[in-house]
Amino acid sequence: MQITAIATVAVTIFMLGAFLFTRETVAKLSTDLLSRIEISVFLSDKVDDAHARALAEQIKSDPRVLIVTYVPKAEGLRQLRERLQGQIDTSLLTMNPLPNAIRIRVKNPDNVPAVARSIQRMSGVATVEYAQDAVTKVLRLTDTLSRLGLGMILVLVFAAAVIISNTIRLTVFARRREIAIMQLVGATNGYVRAPFLAEGFLTGTLGALVAILILGVLHAEVLPKITQTLSFIPFASAPVDVSRLVLELLGAGAIVGVFGAWVSVSRYLRV
Amino acid sequence: MIRLRGVSLTYPNGVRALDNLNLEIEKGSFVFLIGSSGTGKSSLLRLLYRERVPSEGEVYVDGVRIDTMKRSKVPYLRRNVGVVFQDFKLLADKTVWENVAFALQVTGASTKDVRRQVPRCLELVGLSHKSRMFPHELAGGEQQRAAIARALVNNPKILLCDEPTGNLDPATTSEIMELLLRINLKGTTILVATHNQAVVDRMRRRVIRLENGRIHSDEERGYYFLGLGQSSVLSG
Repeated sequence: MQITAIATVAVTIFMLGAFLFTRETVAKLSTDLLSRIEISVFLSDKVDDAHARALAEQIKSDPRVLIVTYVPKAEGLRQLRERLQGQIDTSLLTMNPLPNAIRIRVKNPDNVPAVARSIQRMSGVATVEYAQDAVTKVLRLTDTLSRLGLGMILVLVFAAAVIISNTIRLTVFARRREIAIMQLVGATNGYVRAPFLAEGFLTGTLGALVAILILGVLHAEVLPKITQTLSFIPFASAPVDVSRLVLELLGAGAIVGVFGAWVSVSRYLRV
Repeated sequence: MIRLRGVSLTYPNGVRALDNLNLEIEKGSFVFLIGSSGTGKSSLLRLLYRERVPSEGEVYVDGVRIDTMKRSKVPYLRRNVGVVFQDFKLLADKTVWENVAFALQVTGASTKDVRRQVPRCLELVGLSHKSRMFPHELAGGEQQRAAIARALVNNPKILLCDEPTGNLDPATTSEIMELLLRINLKGTTILVATHNQAVVDRMRRRVIRLENGRIHSDEERGYYFLGLGQSSVLSG
């Protein structure tokens, strides 16, 4: 009976842990990908070099901005030639079609649209471009995942609490004679409750430990294989804080255990 | 020590166990509570250790009103009111010593206190030599002694006994009543609910008879049957 409770809690915490890990990895990946997004600012032809540099400085003063790179048209052309090497004979270009440009990286990808808008308003700026679609989609995806995650977590935690509560109720029932005598000779409710709370705590924590062990094994054996298969995704840039996750799961197990036990015992001590 | 004023108790199923009771019991008394089954004896006792709360009226124990007492204070009341039952209610998996010590431990007493008080109580009831035995190894009378020792270990001012000799033979019954008398002489107020006519008639203490939840009679040196005096048709 005890084993069943621990096992069921283990399954719940396992799913919780797997979900949290996945969600955090996805969140970190999106942040990383988004942060690599550059805002390309193309200046009007009327803007001379000095004006352009001044604009760059102005943009750099925005606290949301991380890196500002001024790419004068000559440099832009050189980079283009490099990239298109072998594909197109760029010596055919007699004049430089590129405008002066400023490339910007922001600190927080959520700010990309806002920063782009504020730059658009500056005088001398012709167009501002960034991967609008991609940014919006990714931001929406991570937001949905977060919300889904919260809902799922609550459901899982509730399920675990119910399971532990039921197990404790059986124990309380089995010891009802002893409890009755305890109350008869003048034990306080706290005294009666304590051993059951301890049992709930143990069950929850043990269940969490089992789940953590299984997750650990998966993390060591299975995860490397997954990241290898999906090698185009830069997992290395999304390191999940494992030790913190472990502590969170242990804490969740303990809290759920104590809570479930508390509810169970209190219902019995109603009088 | 014990005072009831206008106390009525109606159970959820509609049964009116106690009806407008008024009662006063002084400190140090020895009182019998008699009446046929279902007349409210146990219900009255239950009020006194707050196993139940009256539907109407006030209950005072040692000057404190207990029917409206906060739930959290009830354990402290129970440490001052020992209760002994017909079926002893000992813990089967604990020795006599452990059963008596249990009542002290749940009140947070130190090991030193336990080691001092438990032998004292066991000696009082005459069970010192059997302290390491389990309830099922003892005779009925000895089990009741153990229960009495447990009820006394916290030095309660009141001892309630609900049919304490109901499961015991006449000889053992006498021994137990003698024990209770001894305890009473030390100052503990004792209230015994019983069917046992012989015991009541022999001891000639205050006898309160309940009938239909009301006090039918209340005599200082009473007999089981009212007004029968020496000529009792039932005893020999």
